[in-house]
Amino acid sequence: MNEIQTKFYNAFIVKDRWLLYFKGLGVTMEIAVIAGIIGIVIGCIIALMKLSEPKKGHKHTIWWTIATVYVDIIRGTPAVLQLLIMWFIVFSSSNNGVLVASLSFGINSGAYVSEIIRAGILAVDRGQTEAGRSLGLTRGQTMKEIVLPQAIKNVLPPIGNEFITLIKETAIVGYVSLSDLTRVASQISSRTYEAFMPLIGAAVIYFVIIKVLTLLLEALERRLRKSDLR
Amino acid sequence: MISVKNLCKQFDTTKVLDNISTDIEKGDKVAIIGPSGSGKSTFLRCLNLLEEPSKGEIWFEGQLITDPNVNINKIREKMGMVFQNFNLFANKTVLDNITLAPVKLGLMSKSEATDKAMELLTRVNLRDKAYVYPASLSGGQKQRIAIVRSLAMNPDVMLFDEPTSALDPEMVGEVLEVIKGLAETGMTMVIVTHEMGFAREVSNRVMFIDEGIIMEENTPDKLFNDPQSKRLKEFLSKVL
Ligand SMILES: Nc1ncnc2c1ncn2[C@@H]1O[C@H](COP(=O)(O)OP(=O)(O)O)[C@@H](O)[C@H]1O
Ligand SMILES: [Mg+2]
Repeated sequence: MNEIQTKFYNAFIVKDRWLLYFKGLGVTMEIAVIAGIIGIVIGCIIALMKLSEPKKGHKHTIWWTIATVYVDIIRGTPAVLQLLIMWFIVFSSSNNGVLVASLSFGINSGAYVSEIIRAGILAVDRGQTEAGRSLGLTRGQTMKEIVLPQAIKNVLPPIGNEFITLIKETAIVGYVSLSDLTRVASQISSRTYEAFMPLIGAAVIYFVIIKVLTLLLEALERRLRKSDLR
Repeated sequence: MISVKNLCKQFDTTKVLDNISTDIEKGDKVAIIGPSGSGKSTFLRCLNLLEEPSKGEIWFEGQLITDPNVNINKIREKMGMVFQNFNLFANKTVLDNITLAPVKLGLMSKSEATDKAMELLTRVNLRDKAYVYPASLSGGQKQRIAIVRSLAMNPDVMLFDEPTSALDPEMVGEVLEVIKGLAETGMTMVIVTHEMGFAREVSNRVMFIDEGIIMEENTPDKLFNDPQSKRLKEFLSKVL
C-alpha cells in the first residue's frame, strides 16, 4: 500500500472509524436542530416583546426593555463563553450534555432570530396595518391575518441562513467534551498522529451538508419570490 | 355627526394641528384643500384616531371618541378610510380583502359578506377581478377596490386622503366617478384632494387648511370665486 492509502485506511477504515464520524455528525445535527427550534421559539417571543405597544405617554414597554437587554447580552459575549457558563455554572449538575448544549445555542440563536423576525415584520408595508385598523380590526387580528403571513416570506430565507450558521457554530461543543463531528476528527487525528485525513474528511462532510442546505434554501427563495408576483 | 373641538396635534416638538374646531353634519361632503405639509392628512387621521390627538375632543355620533375608555375598533367600523396608496392586503385576493373585516368582526356571515362584496364589485365594474391578487391590478382598479372594501362595512362616514394622488392621470377619472356616485347616494364624506374641479363639483363645503389651522371655510362657490385670505388667493392662483 502506498502512503496515502495507509493514511486513508488509518483515518477511516480501521476499527470501523468511519462510523465515529457519522456518530459525530449525528451529535452535531442533533444539537443544531434542537437549538434551531428553541431559537425560533425564543426569537418569536422576543420579537413580539420588542414590538409590544407602549401605553400612552411611554416610549417602550417593560417587555421591550427585557428583550433588548437579552439581545444585547447575547450579542455582546462570545458563544463559547455562553456554552461554558451553561455547562459549568447553570446546569453543572445535568448529565445530558447534548440538551444543555442545545439550550445554550438555542438561547444564543434566539437573539439573532428575534432581530430577523422583527425586521421581517417591520418590512411589511405599514399602510396595510393602518388599513386593517381603519376597518375596525384589532391589533392582534391585523397581525395574524395580514402582517404575519407576509412577514413569514421575509423571514424564512434569513432564518435558513441562521440555521446553516448554527451547524458550523456547534463545532465548539468540544470545549465541554461532547463528541461532535469536529471533536471526533480531532481525536482520531491525535490517536493516529496524522492530522490531514481526519480534519479534511470532517471539513468535506460539513461542506457537503451546508452546500446541500444552501441549494435548498435558494430554491425556496426562488419559489417565495415567484409567489410574490401572483 | 362628527364634532371636533380644539384639536391639537404635535409630533415631538413640531406643532402640526393648532386648535382646530369644526362640525361635520350627516350628508355633508367636505373637501379639504391646502398646500402639502399643512396638516390635512394628520387632521383626517385624527378623526378615526389613526393619529392620537395631543389635545382636544372628537365626538362621533354623540360619543366622545378621544376618551381613553372608548373601544376605538367599534367606532372605526363606522368610519371608512381610503388611503393615497390604496393599502390593499397583498396576501389576500380582492374578494378576501373586502370580506375579511366584516366576517372577522362578526358583522356578516361569510356568504352574506361575499354577496355584498360581489354586488359592490359589480357597481365599480370589477366583478371579474374578485379572485385575483392586488399585485396584478392597475392603480385605478386598486383604489376602486379599496373604496369597495370600506363600503362593505356599511360605514356612516367615508374619509378619503388624496385618493387620486398616486394614480397615473388616465386613471384619475374612473376613481373620481366612483366617489361621485357615492356622494349621490347621500354618504357623508370628508375628502382631502388636489383635484379642485372635483372638490367644487361634489362638495357642499370646502375647508382650506394651512399651517395647521382652518384658514378659510365656505361653500365651494364662495371659496373658489371669492377667496378672502391672502394665503388662499396665493394657493388658488398656483393650483387653478
Ligand atoms: N408621524 C409623523 N411624525 C412626525 N412628523 C409628522 C408625522 N406625520 C406628519 N408629520 C409632519 O406633519 C406635517 C403635516 O403633515 P401632513 O398632515 O401629512 O400634511 P399634508 O397631508 O397636508 O401634506 C408635516 O410637516 C409632516 O412632516
Ligand atoms: Mg397628506
